[in-house]
Amino acid sequence: MNELLRSYGRGLTGLFVGLTIVWLAVLVIVPQAMMLEQSLWSKERGSEISLRIDRAYTELETAKFDLAGDLAPDKKAELEDAVSRLEAEIAELEAQEQDPPKVYGLQNYTKMSGLHFNIFVKTIAYAALVTLLALVVCYPIAYAVAHLSTPRKAALLLLGLTIPYAINELLRVYAWLMILDYQGVINSFLAAIGFVSFEAKTWVPFLEYSGSVFVAMIYAYILFMVFPIYNTLETLDRNQIEAAKDLGGSIWLTHRRVVIPHAKPGIAVGCIMTFMLSAGSYAVPQIMTRGKSGDWFSQLIYRQFFESFNWNVGAAYSFTLLIACIVFIFLMMAIFKVGIRDIAK
Amino acid sequence: MSAQSSENRVAQAILNGYLAVFFLYMFAPLIVMSLAAFNAYDYPSVTQWRGWTLKWFSALAEDDRILIGLQNTVVVALGVIVISLPLGLAGAFILTRLQSRWTGLLYAALVSPILTPGIILGISTLIFWRNFDVPGGLFLTVLAQSSFIASYSMLLFMARLQRQDRVLEEAALDLGGSNLLVFRRITLPFLYPTIATASVIAFLQSIENYNTTVFAIGGDWTLVTEIGSRFRFGLSPVINVIGVIFVVLTVVAATLYAYYRERERKRVLAIELELRAMDRQARLAAKRRGPEADETAVPLPARA
Repeated sequence: MNELLRSYGRGLTGLFVGLTIVWLAVLVIVPQAMMLEQSLWSKERGSEISLRIDRAYTELETAKFDLAGDLAPDKKAELEDAVSRLEAEIAELEAQEQDPPKVYGLQNYTKMSGLHFNIFVKTIAYAALVTLLALVVCYPIAYAVAHLSTPRKAALLLLGLTIPYAINELLRVYAWLMILDYQGVINSFLAAIGFVSFEAKTWVPFLEYSGSVFVAMIYAYILFMVFPIYNTLETLDRNQIEAAKDLGGSIWLTHRRVVIPHAKPGIAVGCIMTFMLSAGSYAVPQIMTRGKSGDWFSQLIYRQFFESFNWNVGAAYSFTLLIACIVFIFLMMAIFKVGIRDIAK
Repeated sequence: MSAQSSENRVAQAILNGYLAVFFLYMFAPLIVMSLAAFNAYDYPSVTQWRGWTLKWFSALAEDDRILIGLQNTVVVALGVIVISLPLGLAGAFILTRLQSRWTGLLYAALVSPILTPGIILGISTLIFWRNFDVPGGLFLTVLAQSSFIASYSMLLFMARLQRQDRVLEEAALDLGGSNLLVFRRITLPFLYPTIATASVIAFLQSIENYNTTVFAIGGDWTLVTEIGSRFRFGLSPVINVIGVIFVVLTVVAATLYAYYRERERKRVLAIELELRAMDRQARLAAKRRGPEADETAVPLPARA
């Protein structure tokens, strides 16, 4: 703090601290805390309360009917009392029905149906598989660009990697929709070689398989794996690889003992980014199913907010997803033995 | 030895083939998508070819929702730059200068939005502002996007600040410059290139964001959320035209950048060669004058 004050003086330091606090509070911590709070209560509009209201109304009607008859004064006063009491009770119950009290608890989490829970597990498993495949596909690419190419060729390859990266996620996925569609590129190719026939409607309904979401997702997020690994591999001294080779190490051994240990932070970042993006992806499943159905957890969350208008359950599902991502981050940090400082670079 | 070199050659060949397949995988879908923008067929397709046409380009020019969406996209992106750059800069100053055991925690908190799924950033923003009766819309979109784009800006500023030579600031302070003057005349100019880079990156991140935006946008729309809703209602080759425009802009920008880098590299190389030549001439001249005059020739470093 002293160093800050000395360099920038009270005014500027105060401004920096203030801005950072506002950022943390208004944009990060308080919204997340409120999401958690929202997920921890619900308003139960039980059927019990409306039954009680109905019963009170019946009693009220009876009392009023009795009042209309010929009665002794003391009996009449008693009934009038009963009427005003019932009217007050009804008003209170109706207010409660309009705005039921918040009930705190874990009910939004525990109420998750078997179907929704299956979707959650499937989403996490798919995201993990996407991450693994992306790693396997990307590692050789990152290594080739960083170490095996001449500077000119490397620049060209990087350019080739940047172009798809810069094109919008939706449009990138959309391209796959066109390829896998009923009369898309693959089905037309299959028809041309006589495997399927459009007349007989024997085309392959790729888009109905959840695998199509999977293919598009690898395509959409693969570059988030390439770039972090490339960045760490670029800093690896080429002499170390040469030395390993001269000492008789095979290609496999060189990678296992020299290159991969050096690339660890990049691999961790790539895995975390890819997992987070695929587990939380709303765009990819939405487009591959043309917005009609699709069971990805993010779509479930969207429907809770904007179709069922059940924000409490939606918040609980969001928080569940967030926890899954945090667990994954810690898992990666433990597996690759890297700290948070190495991660966000 | 020969066994190893042949092993290397095989490995190189496999790798080259792999690179070719990989780039085909990356680019073929983009080519398919672009081609369909020129097909006269009403539904985006390359397989049902009805002849070349440019009519989808004029259809795009008349599509009001898309044009308004584009306008909203730019407004949101500018808002994001205005909010996230100062926040990122403030965070970077604190993290690079604060020596405390809380620094690690603060760092983790400030980069956490990058590691949070985008939909959750949108949702939490929506829930937070409902308490103040602010519904989803462009304003909330700006805030939701800024929460993670500020973190990216912060990382860029931190990388720059870590390379800063503090001697200049110290000297200016010792000479009696006020803190504000030193900040304005020394620190900020040092950061100008990063401010430019961070603005460009914030702009690009903002215009292509979908997952956060779709939750915070409410009844408004940006170009990307409009594209998203077209998949549900009325898919037409107009979307492919937008894709073509994106592809062309990206290729042009990337090529210009690569060209600029190459020219810069050549310029540096040319200066280096010129300096070497001058150095050589100076040495020759010194030699001609005799060995005792050798000290007048200033030897240049081998690399500029």
